[in-house]
Amino acid sequence: MAPVSSARLRTLFALFAVLSIVLSARVAYWQTVARPGLLERANGQVRSDEVLHARRGTIFDRSGAILAASVDLRSLYAIPARIRDKQKVADDLGILLGRAAGPIYDRLTSGADWVFIQRRLPEATANAIADLHVDGLGFEEEPKRLYPNGDLAAHLLGFVSDDGAGQDGVEGKYDGILRGTDGKLVAERDPADREIALGLRESVAPRNGADLTLTVDLAIQTSAERELRAAVQRESAVGGSIVVLDPRDGAVRAMASYPTFDPGAVAAAKPEALRDRVVGWAYEPGSVMKAITMAAGLETGVVTPNTTYNDVGYADIGGRRLSNALGRAWGPSTMTQVIEHSANAGAVFVAKKLGEQRLYDALVRFGIGRPTGVDLAGEIGGDVRPLAQWYPVDLGTAAFGQGLTATPLQLATVYAAIANGGTLYRPYVVASWRDADGEHRTAPAAVRRVVSSQTASTLRDMLVSSVDKGLAHGAFLSGFSVAGKTGTAQIPSPDGRYVDDQYISSFAGFVPADDPYMVVVVVLDRPQSRLFGTTTAMSVFRGVAEDTLRYALIQPDRKR
Amino acid sequence: MTTVAFAAPRRYVRARRTAATHRTRSRALPRHVRSASRAVTWELRSFVGASAAIAVAFVLALAYLAGSTGVASVGYEAQRLEAQRDELRRQNDLLQLELARLDSPARIEAEAKRLGLVRVPYVPVVTADPVAAHR
Repeated sequence: MAPVSSARLRTLFALFAVLSIVLSARVAYWQTVARPGLLERANGQVRSDEVLHARRGTIFDRSGAILAASVDLRSLYAIPARIRDKQKVADDLGILLGRAAGPIYDRLTSGADWVFIQRRLPEATANAIADLHVDGLGFEEEPKRLYPNGDLAAHLLGFVSDDGAGQDGVEGKYDGILRGTDGKLVAERDPADREIALGLRESVAPRNGADLTLTVDLAIQTSAERELRAAVQRESAVGGSIVVLDPRDGAVRAMASYPTFDPGAVAAAKPEALRDRVVGWAYEPGSVMKAITMAAGLETGVVTPNTTYNDVGYADIGGRRLSNALGRAWGPSTMTQVIEHSANAGAVFVAKKLGEQRLYDALVRFGIGRPTGVDLAGEIGGDVRPLAQWYPVDLGTAAFGQGLTATPLQLATVYAAIANGGTLYRPYVVASWRDADGEHRTAPAAVRRVVSSQTASTLRDMLVSSVDKGLAHGAFLSGFSVAGKTGTAQIPSPDGRYVDDQYISSFAGFVPADDPYMVVVVVLDRPQSRLFGTTTAMSVFRGVAEDTLRYALIQPDRKR
Repeated sequence: MTTVAFAAPRRYVRARRTAATHRTRSRALPRHVRSASRAVTWELRSFVGASAAIAVAFVLALAYLAGSTGVASVGYEAQRLEAQRDELRRQNDLLQLELARLDSPARIEAEAKRLGLVRVPYVPVVTADPVAAHR
């Protein structure tokens, strides 16, 4: 065997040495400088960062019926490259989705890698599509807020936008506690998108939103909405609202506005339908405000139920003449008859005796001009001008509810205070909420005493007389004592005058008068029967009261 | 101590040999054959030892793999069950909503109307006579 040249050996050795150094350097580079990038690429292939969505809380009525709940619905997506016969798939989907096939086909041929065909499908439709077994079609679950009672209590509940944010009503006001807190899951997944059992797993559990129980009663709400809808349609009114309160603590039993909308399909709603006419709309309430004027008169002792004045059909104040409705003169009248006849001149008579300061104080004490503090989004407070801005005539107009504005909810709290013996309560809608820490109950909040129990009792009797013998007789219920007052208010126009022959009709009352179970305020915006719109408002009151008293098993307090 | 033991008389050691040893020795093999035999025995032992070690390592690897596979399978099963649980919860939520829809007073009222039912115009309320109530 010939001896190997040592030069060749050295060359070979040198070659290997250089190669080793190069390889080592390369390995060192990958292990140090390029390590984070490589690690990230490797993790990206197996690691998934997933947001664990918190479940939005459910809203129940006071008996436990579901008013709003969130469920995961399936959204249909397509991976067009995997769909062979796109035209046929588009045709089939068009039939099942009730849509034209053309736009679906356009999406499938748009060149996108991944497209949504339709989001949040009804369960039956999703099942029917799944049964097609089309390769390239898939589902992704997305949360959807559903309202099983349709448009019932829509304004009170509010709605949830596509991005999951609560808007208006309870959904808006309590969005923070309904929404919950999302969690996070970091895990390694195999090519089939299954979590690797022995792989990395870091998770932060989501904190679900709290469930709310409202003070609202579904049965009373249904009755209120039925009666209101019928009245607005019968009167061809622009709109209407109704609120039912428990006068004993200010709990809202029902609240509705018409026109209304489906909170599950807000995009289709007309802007006018979205307006909450109970808390987000103020109007000049008219004669229902005479109850405050009279309460102030009785409380300060300037009048008693039997104080008499001579009604000539009008009253002059501040250089202006303020007339009774239809200019009717009632002759010598007691204060009870002022309420019975709803005499504007009588209200001005009381106001003159009170003076501006005391009437203004009474309005403020009853909460007119500032929000009630109800736990609903979008509440406004109405408007009572500061006393310094009052014209002399304002004393007279304010006495019968013109020249100032109030919301129907404010009026309901006023009548609730009269009904319960003189305490103004903050109205509330959420009775309790339940989260991981347990149940939190809302305590009724008495704002202040607005009149003495004696004044409240006297005024109650006067309001009962108004229903038994006066203009509010349309609210009379057989077997029950009803206290109430009608209101027909003129509508201010932008030019500072009042709109001709257009009115807002309202009725505020409570029943049974001696031990009130419910306060109801009904407002109809521009009813076709004009001055007689209060008759329709009273029929709404009667319908709701009859249903509710029967439903709540309230004993009649009078012989039928 | 050890030195003393190795220094024991040869006769004494021989006397302790068994009869079998005597038989083997009586058929004594040539030296080079005896040496080869010892080498084979050592190689055999080494082979057996190595084989055993490999077998043990193999068994351990198999056990590890079986364990890992078992855990992975259980993990997949757990995920399948979790998905099933989630789907059942979702179905339950949908059924609860359907129940609420069917229980809605407005729907029941509409259905009653469709069936021709009418509202009771008057509900008599019987109040206990005060005298009877005191009994």
